[in-house]
Amino acid sequence: MADHFAAFSFVDRIVEYDAGRRACGRYAVPAHIDAFPPCLVAEAVGQLAAWVAMAHVGFRGRPVAALANETRFRSAVAPGSTLDLAVDIESCDEHAVAYAGRARVDGTDVIELVDCLGPMLPVEEFDSPAELAARFELIRGTGAPAGRFRGVVAPRVVRTAGVPGVSASATLFVPESAPFFGDHFPRRPVFPATLLLDAQIGLAMGVATEATHWPAGTAPAPSRMTHVKIRSFMPPGAAVDIDAELIPSGPEGATIRLAARMDGKTAATARLEVVAVATATVGAHQ
Amino acid sequence: MTQAQISKEDILAVLPTVAATIADALGCDLEDVKPDASLIDDLDAESIDFLDMVFRLERAFKVKIPRGKIVENARGTLTEAEFEQNGLVTDVGLAQLRSYLAEVPPDRFKTPTKVKDIPRLFTTETFCKLVVAAQREVKAAG
Repeated sequence: MADHFAAFSFVDRIVEYDAGRRACGRYAVPAHIDAFPPCLVAEAVGQLAAWVAMAHVGFRGRPVAALANETRFRSAVAPGSTLDLAVDIESCDEHAVAYAGRARVDGTDVIELVDCLGPMLPVEEFDSPAELAARFELIRGTGAPAGRFRGVVAPRVVRTAGVPGVSASATLFVPESAPFFGDHFPRRPVFPATLLLDAQIGLAMGVATEATHWPAGTAPAPSRMTHVKIRSFMPPGAAVDIDAELIPSGPEGATIRLAARMDGKTAATARLEVVAVATATVGAHQ
Repeated sequence: MTQAQISKEDILAVLPTVAATIADALGCDLEDVKPDASLIDDLDAESIDFLDMVFRLERAFKVKIPRGKIVENARGTLTEAEFEQNGLVTDVGLAQLRSYLAEVPPDRFKTPTKVKDIPRLFTTETFCKLVVAAQREVKAAG
């Protein structure tokens, strides 16, 4: 499958490895793509943790969907950058992997993940255990060829309702087909939760930008995401209703409650905290 | 995990933190997290919420709660065959379950009880008992 380990794989090489406990890795963000949003940086950290977890259980289980108690956004990652990834595995067994991790560029933190938990599901439902094991050997050894990621076409999001500066609702249309489904996952395509979160952040930042309580000369920027909980798999073609509701937490901050529903059932929840930053530095946070 | 082993005082000592942790994990109001509230039927918890609650409680109390073993623990000393037959809890298994989950109001135990429905019986107090048991293990380990 041409897109396997290309369309949505963000660990090129594991450079340090303490089985079941810790790993450091690298990912070269292709220079030719338009953008590499924070959610994909978080995905890269999560994928490194997933490799450690899968290897720990002999590629019988893999973490799918996740709980992320806290993700701290530090700075933006430009195409052409190299991510230095690190994860510390707190615990890992056939039920779940608990971990923390971070990504750095040129020695500077760009994202931190704290208290994350991935439920382990049978690998064979999603991917070939043998192919995963072979890929793991490759990235543990000489490393995989860099630059195969071609970017992600953002899913169509249609805003349906809302009150400017207070709330917004939209429908996200998961594409019927997309290159990333070849990688996520070959045997059971699932819309990546990080792409859902990226769309939700986009909706939330729209609401935050419309809010009027920000001090002059500042604009809102995401600072951290908490309480991320993915409850359902989103298959190709799904219509996912997403909502963002802003609750000011003072003159220079706000919490935006995020929810996603599919077929009337909650599929994901999260909270995004935004802070006022000087207008000239807003881009560094996004 | 019986009432004789864990006292009401033990439960009350951890209840405020357990309730707050459950409310945070489920995104519900703290006042809804009553000691006898069924986590699934009253608070809409799903399987991922159980992982989340255990994860948060481990951090809040600095204990380890074995994931995926809550139902297994409910079996006590009974073998799997003694506890269940074809996915249904046996009579002797149900007696064990009633003893293990002594805090659960009796009318919530159905006959027959499906093994997969056992988590429906879990209440806030059940999780308090898990925490107290885990605290004792930490203490015993020195």
